[in-house]
Amino acid sequence: MTCDEVRELLPEHLLRALDETTDAAIRRHLRGCAACREERMKLEDGVSALSRAVHDQEPPGELRGRVLRALDEEWEDPGPVPAASRPPTPSRRRSMWMAVAAAVAFVVVVASVTWGATQAHRASLASADAGSYRSLLGFLGGKEFRTGEIQPSEGSTMQGKVVLYDGDAAHGWSSWGLVMVKAPGYDGEAEVTLLGPDGDTYAWPPFHIRNGEGDAWIVTHEDLSTYDRLTITTPDGVVVASAAIHSA
Amino acid sequence: MEAFAGRDERAAGVLYDRFASRIYGLGVVMLGNDQSAQDLVQDTFVKLVRTADRFDPARGRLETWVLLTARSLAIDGLRRRVLESRSLREVGMPREDDPAPGPEERATVADLSARARRAMSVLSAEQRSALELAYFGGRTTAEVAALEGIPQGTVKTRIRAALLRLREEMAKETDHDM
Repeated sequence: MTCDEVRELLPEHLLRALDETTDAAIRRHLRGCAACREERMKLEDGVSALSRAVHDQEPPGELRGRVLRALDEEWEDPGPVPAASRPPTPSRRRSMWMAVAAAVAFVVVVASVTWGATQAHRASLASADAGSYRSLLGFLGGKEFRTGEIQPSEGSTMQGKVVLYDGDAAHGWSSWGLVMVKAPGYDGEAEVTLLGPDGDTYAWPPFHIRNGEGDAWIVTHEDLSTYDRLTITTPDGVVVASAAIHSA
Repeated sequence: MEAFAGRDERAAGVLYDRFASRIYGLGVVMLGNDQSAQDLVQDTFVKLVRTADRFDPARGRLETWVLLTARSLAIDGLRRRVLESRSLREVGMPREDDPAPGPEERATVADLSARARRAMSVLSAEQRSALELAYFGGRTTAEVAALEGIPQGTVKTRIRAALLRLREEMAKETDHDM
């Protein structure tokens, strides 16, 4: 990336409006370019000026105690395993093994989900199926499968399905995601972004839609369980479809 | 921030005193009522605890990190409201958790709005509109471009120019105060 390209994108970088890939490229550039870092600092001054001038308002006095109590509770509640204490990234050899295992298991998952969809009425009645689901999760070492219907935005034709598998990151197992879409009349790149209730986002690498059909998938050590929505955007940032993601 | 990440209650108090008023004000401006603004302050600090290990001073200032974390949460709140109001409209139910603001809250919002207008008056109408949509409205530059009917590059230029102009104005005010 050149300095001109980076500077053009700096306001969006600052306002956290870029996809993860572009943002990472900007961060990489900034690490080695003092002039662009200086430009970024000027824009940060602008955000600071805006916040002081436009939205500096003393909150009610009792709020301080309420917030500090909430922080106490947060510190006492260990919650999910934080990223820093997760096991280190496995070696290349282990990664390859896991990728192969993941690919094999992925086929099992997709087959299971497909089977589950066509036999839904039977699955809901048969406790044996629930047992199978649990043993599949036990075999894979994961926590949960989640699914969602991808719905088109206004003016779009894109529809599809999303399946997320939340692996047990604490024990080094990957999480996976699969998106399948049909978009009659659309040919080109699109990008999947997972969204969390706390404003976190996780962008997947761009994928291609050819002849109105496309699919994207990831295998990652990221904790996907914190994401509960998804959007699909065109390269110019237009949201063409979205989905809410629920427990399967 | 290191102390805050290390669960230092005193550091939490210092961070609160430094940023709570701007987070609260942001909540009033974006979410329009006192209760939502107070919730935004709490949610922001809890989020900061949860993500403290991701803060890297080499990537930007603590102030920007805190303010933009609050802004992201406020934008999520706005989006949730839109979704809720859509689904409730579909089933014809009133919202229970969204009482109309009282006279005091309305006065606070009006006061902040007036201040916002004064501060933003140094910007051109085009710069103001682009900055408001992107910063307070959480719109991407592509969305702003579509709404304004202008090229995306122009939106980026306007937001950049607006932020630099506000920085300049703030520097002038600081000089006057000295």
